[in-house]
Amino acid sequence: MSDKDDTETPVVTKATPSPEDGNCEPARNSESADQSTKPESKSEPVASTRKRPEARSSHDLDTADIHPVQESQALGKDPFSKEVAQTGWGYWGSWGKSLLSSASATVATVGQGISNVIEKAENSLGIPSPVEISTQVQYASGDTNTKGNESTSPVAGPFGVFSTISTAVQSTGKSVISGGLDALEFIGKKTMDVIAEGDPGFRKTKGLINRNSTLSQVLREAKEKEELRTTNEVTMETDRKTHYGLLFDEFQGLSHLEALEMLSRESEIKVKSILNSLSGEELDTLKLDLEQLKETFSLEEFCDEEEEEKKGDEDFTKEIMELFSQLHISCRPEKLTRARNAAYEWIETPLKKPLVEKEEEEKYLEIQSTEQVNKKSVECLFFQDIHAFAIRSLAELTAYSIELFHKTAALVLHGQKQEVTAIERSRALSQMTVVLCKDLSIMSKEFTTCLTSAGVKEKADVLNPLITAVFLEASNSASYIQDAFQLLLPVLEISLIESKTQLPQA
Amino acid sequence: MEAIWLYQFRLIVIGDSTVGKSCLIRRFTEGRFAQVSDPTVGVDFFSRLVEIEPGKRIKLQIWDTAGQERFRSITRAYYRNSVGGLLLFDITNRRSFQNVHEWLEETKVHVQPYQIVFVLVGHKCDLDTQRQVTRHEAEKLAAAYGMKYIETSARDAINVEKAFTDLTRDIYELVKRGEITIQEGWEGVKSGFVPNVVHSSEEVVKSERRCLC
Repeated sequence: MSDKDDTETPVVTKATPSPEDGNCEPARNSESADQSTKPESKSEPVASTRKRPEARSSHDLDTADIHPVQESQALGKDPFSKEVAQTGWGYWGSWGKSLLSSASATVATVGQGISNVIEKAENSLGIPSPVEISTQVQYASGDTNTKGNESTSPVAGPFGVFSTISTAVQSTGKSVISGGLDALEFIGKKTMDVIAEGDPGFRKTKGLINRNSTLSQVLREAKEKEELRTTNEVTMETDRKTHYGLLFDEFQGLSHLEALEMLSRESEIKVKSILNSLSGEELDTLKLDLEQLKETFSLEEFCDEEEEEKKGDEDFTKEIMELFSQLHISCRPEKLTRARNAAYEWIETPLKKPLVEKEEEEKYLEIQSTEQVNKKSVECLFFQDIHAFAIRSLAELTAYSIELFHKTAALVLHGQKQEVTAIERSRALSQMTVVLCKDLSIMSKEFTTCLTSAGVKEKADVLNPLITAVFLEASNSASYIQDAFQLLLPVLEISLIESKTQLPQA
Repeated sequence: MEAIWLYQFRLIVIGDSTVGKSCLIRRFTEGRFAQVSDPTVGVDFFSRLVEIEPGKRIKLQIWDTAGQERFRSITRAYYRNSVGGLLLFDITNRRSFQNVHEWLEETKVHVQPYQIVFVLVGHKCDLDTQRQVTRHEAEKLAAAYGMKYIETSARDAINVEKAFTDLTRDIYELVKRGEITIQEGWEGVKSGFVPNVVHSSEEVVKSERRCLC
């Protein structure tokens, strides 16, 4: 809350806390949040909101495919071919579809430098399967018919809050651009695919380009672009405070992601060469085992879970600790749980005692800018703080989650002899992914509720972009975590193979 | 958090297990000393800005590596993209000093075709009574490899700042003189963003980089 003072209007008004200021208490229900955000939904361009960096393959579009496993079997006979790697995982519904397919596609690239993209010779890249094309078409035609399609889409995912929000999507030429609440809309369903090109050919091109970059590259580029942009502008300080990518990097999320990608890539190469060296029955059994392992990475739990209540700090900590202990690795998730609980504490503070909080804020401001305080700026600062804190927390928790996955990968590969099977580990990790993502979605709701009540006096066009940004980044966070989780698959495959080959010897 | 920096240097910190690599870095980046710390798993990441001249900041990305042998295959991967390194040994542990040249050999193999500017760090100098390595022999060894030598203590915050900033300054000089250049595909040095000050000719983007170990 030590923000820079942004008072532009030097109106000399004494900042007395009036009763109307205590508007933080009632609006805990998302209903009011919806009300206040609805009106402007169409026209408002979301200035501070950045779309998730694109590195999506055309696979992302196949949100309609319900049985990817079967489909993948139909597509590629060889369960270890690219096709399967890319389509096999994505079941658990229509939200949070992520960079995964491109991430896992890229880990196969041999000797690819972190930011040094080498052309790949894989000719399968960028060419969508007939199934994808048909789903793309479906998708494209669905877009024009917004209401009918969208509202029936399952929004039972972690971001189910949006099921109550009616959405509007405008179709402008070849891009489908949705405004205002658009971000909310696609979080519920298609996550980052909202700005989908109606032109499949264009998508195809884009897919081709993007297949060659890993998630961390995309994020790094986005971050660097942002750094460049912010240095060129005067608004740097406040901008940086709310820029997810920069914050994510500050918490070393990018570095851990790169490190994880590296381990994943190496493992994948190893797996391939092992499979190439095997034949006959040996190969068939191993393939079967690996197939089983892969199934644990499908994150199906996302589908059938209902909207969950917010967990208490202890519950979350306990659950994560428990899952982590099931991995039998010498590392603990305290950094994450501590940060998570601290974030919740922060959220609850202003909600419980809004007046106190506000008075402090005003006092602080009075000191800061002597007389130049008006009531409006006080409120303004307050909800902007919430926004900044929300983005920061999301970036922090995501970075720590990815750090955990990175450490897990390192320990699975180079840890002590394992007492648990790779499948057991994958199950625990998969559950952990679900828990983390759900918690983030719940947290983002808490943040926006908080934001809505703090900024209830604000115009929707001031508040909405901030709310949208929080939801958007929460969705991105969840996607990153899932992507990172998927990067663990080759690592666990190696672990599985090693345990199989070690057993007879022992 | 200050956004503006002239360059970003990647530094790697290596040395035997338990010589205090993580503690040294934490003292430098977080300003405190952790009494107990778990052994590093694989590699860890830290960063800090250093002001080498008034208004001239360098962002340091510091790679903390596990000393344990079993993670060697992971940590090796990080040599290549480092411009500088701190090679630590524990002055109360003779073995860790004897291993210094093995560490240098190890890096030499894996850093090709690049070079790392190393500084030799005798750590835990607060435990002088338990010293097993004299300053003289450490200096001799460092000189033989063309390194500087410095003794530090993370616990008592002795020379921690100096160890990092001296190394940073040395690298900066080499960059300024064009002996280290920013290269495509190499992450050791990256150009940052300069405030509205004159950028001068320091920004060298040649494709050649000379040896300086």
